[in-house]
Amino acid sequence: MAAAAIEAGLKRAHFKDVRLPVLLLLPQLAILLFFFFIPSFRALGQAFFLSDPFGNTVHFVGFDNFAQLLQSATYHESVQVTVVFTLLQNLLTIAVALVLAFASDRVIRGRGIYKAIILLPYAIAPVIAGILWAFLFNPAVGPLAQVLHAIGLAWDPNRVGSDAMILVILAASWKHVCYDYIFLLAGLLAVPSSLLEAAAVDGAGPLRRFFTIGLPLLMPTMFFLAVMNFVYGFFEIFAIVDAVTQGGPAGATNVLVFKVYVDGFINLDLGSSAAQSVILMIFALLMTLLQFRYVERRVSYDV
Amino acid sequence: MNFNRRNALATLAFSSALWLAGAAPAAAEPVQIQWWHAMGGALGERVDELVKNFNASQQKYAVSAVYKGNYDEVINGTIAAYRAKRAPALVQIYERGFMTMLLSDATMPVQDLLDQRGYKVDWADFVKPVAGFYSYKGKLMTMPFNSSSPILWYNKAHFEKAGFAKPAETWQELEKQLYAIKQKGISACGSVLAGDYHWSLLENYSAINDLPYATKANGYQGLDTEFVYNKTSVVSQVARIKKWIDDDVMQIAGQGLSPEQLFTSGKCSTYFASTAAHSGIERESKIDWSATYLPWEDGKQPRNSTIGGASLWVMKGQKPAEYEAVAAFLDYLAKPETQFWWVKATGYVPLTNKAYQLAKSQGYYKDHATREIAILQLTRGTPTANSTGFHFGNFTQTMMAQRDEFQNVVAGKKTPQVAMDDAVKRGNEILRQYEKLNKGRY
Repeated sequence: MAAAAIEAGLKRAHFKDVRLPVLLLLPQLAILLFFFFIPSFRALGQAFFLSDPFGNTVHFVGFDNFAQLLQSATYHESVQVTVVFTLLQNLLTIAVALVLAFASDRVIRGRGIYKAIILLPYAIAPVIAGILWAFLFNPAVGPLAQVLHAIGLAWDPNRVGSDAMILVILAASWKHVCYDYIFLLAGLLAVPSSLLEAAAVDGAGPLRRFFTIGLPLLMPTMFFLAVMNFVYGFFEIFAIVDAVTQGGPAGATNVLVFKVYVDGFINLDLGSSAAQSVILMIFALLMTLLQFRYVERRVSYDV
Repeated sequence: MNFNRRNALATLAFSSALWLAGAAPAAAEPVQIQWWHAMGGALGERVDELVKNFNASQQKYAVSAVYKGNYDEVINGTIAAYRAKRAPALVQIYERGFMTMLLSDATMPVQDLLDQRGYKVDWADFVKPVAGFYSYKGKLMTMPFNSSSPILWYNKAHFEKAGFAKPAETWQELEKQLYAIKQKGISACGSVLAGDYHWSLLENYSAINDLPYATKANGYQGLDTEFVYNKTSVVSQVARIKKWIDDDVMQIAGQGLSPEQLFTSGKCSTYFASTAAHSGIERESKIDWSATYLPWEDGKQPRNSTIGGASLWVMKGQKPAEYEAVAAFLDYLAKPETQFWWVKATGYVPLTNKAYQLAKSQGYYKDHATREIAILQLTRGTPTANSTGFHFGNFTQTMMAQRDEFQNVVAGKKTPQVAMDDAVKRGNEILRQYEKLNKGRY
């Protein structure tokens, strides 16, 4: 209750004059305008045309680009691949981050070192991360692939779609675990120690304390992270897919955002690529709306 | 980016220095033109050298070569610049982009440009499959620049150890050799699949064996061309590659590892790849390697192979003085001496017969025998409708569809026949889209 009052106070208190906040917002709005709104509207326009990439021959085709996509088997496959990838990546990232956060929350000596090590991947460029994983699991020379072969697994992401998918999920999650980790660790630090101590006095072990006290209190953070992971999985894994599998083999890791790139940038099929990005954008909007409207309500923020 | 900025800064510093000195030169300023290219690394250094040589050879013009990333990035950069009405004078575009550039209405025919400016270029002297690829209605539309053809690279020691003098001429015999090498434990893999295998093992396979790849002379006679490679022995070729991969006779290098490394490290015994790999293989390899022609089917009379690489397109919208500069530079490129220098520096094939003769007369191929293979293979016999080249709209897109379906075969998800049928079906849809867009313009 007290928290709500403070929050309302914060919203009301400052900026009696509107000019300063507007001025402060301007740079951000300008960036949004030039790098988001204008390109989005251009994509929207392009989606209704069949055009030569140089733009000298342009035919208006109405919803043809969309109709073609909806009938295209490769597009359906790409949607499936994206859903599978995003869900698994989300689960894996949160689970690993949670374990790491829980574990390092309990460590007392050298906690800073552990944190620093876990956060390191965030500083690595996605392409580098991708190449690193592709190399480690390369069936011909990769050391980890040799381990898999030695224990009798016929690991070959160059040929087997599911292996390629596993590899992309691993690489993408590895790159993103630290993001989730830092939020979850902060969340755990915010769990009142009085509650945990009381539970300990009552004889609850660390796991039990975590599941009955820590985890419920982390739910809002986890919800936020789930949304962020979806956004990451949908829009930000381009570089990793490009470096690890290039969408292959046979489209097994051809996630939507990579397909947009290939169709637009390599195949120069601008109409289809624009239509795809419009669908992607609408989908992202819907997903975010749905989640905030329906899922967030079920998350308990009560202490 | 960086390069541009550095250039801009340098220009700025230079011009302000001139202004301070009060000594702005009047008419002697050379005409500047930009050339965007995709030659990175060692090849990029050769390009810079080429441009430096041209700039030093006269005072009127100055070409500045700008590295714009890989082929995809150059064509995209060109499109963006053209749309913003800031296209460079000259761009290097890969061979698959031929139709895209030709019907874009954004370029001007290079033969017209040079003829109009009074340069005497012997157009008939260009090597046939090179000129054939870049010509439209008998006229060279773009200046051939870096042309290559796939050849068969092999590890001499592996073959000798297995008791073979060199790789056999036909696919059937070569297959036996590679399996023998594998069985004797001489190498871990008989061959490694190159990244651009569709070019060497499917497209050139069709040309060399005189098989139709598509109707209408592989697209030369109209936009209503349709792929037909699913009805030829391309299907059994795909089955053969699949079998090699299944039997571990062929390896896929995969992401994070260059296939060339598997060959130069001595792990794999052969490598089907471009003659342009010479610069890399000569530098990297610790093995005793050689090269020979691509194999052909048993009982066939082998035809010429077709080219890959890129050519230089002249963009519309430049000033007359700039076109003068472009023409002078292209004329310089076409000279046998320039050609020969480029051939020596890179491993690409000579583009004109004169350049080839010059290289031969200087005894260049005596010391570099493998460098002659591609040109001999390209000029073998008289080109047929099946071996002249490929003029497909959206060629990259149809190739990507084919690559996808090929991967389905390798993954064991489809039979070679079904996969090639599907690849042809997808490819034809893409061709129809291109036909719809460019109706009546070819």
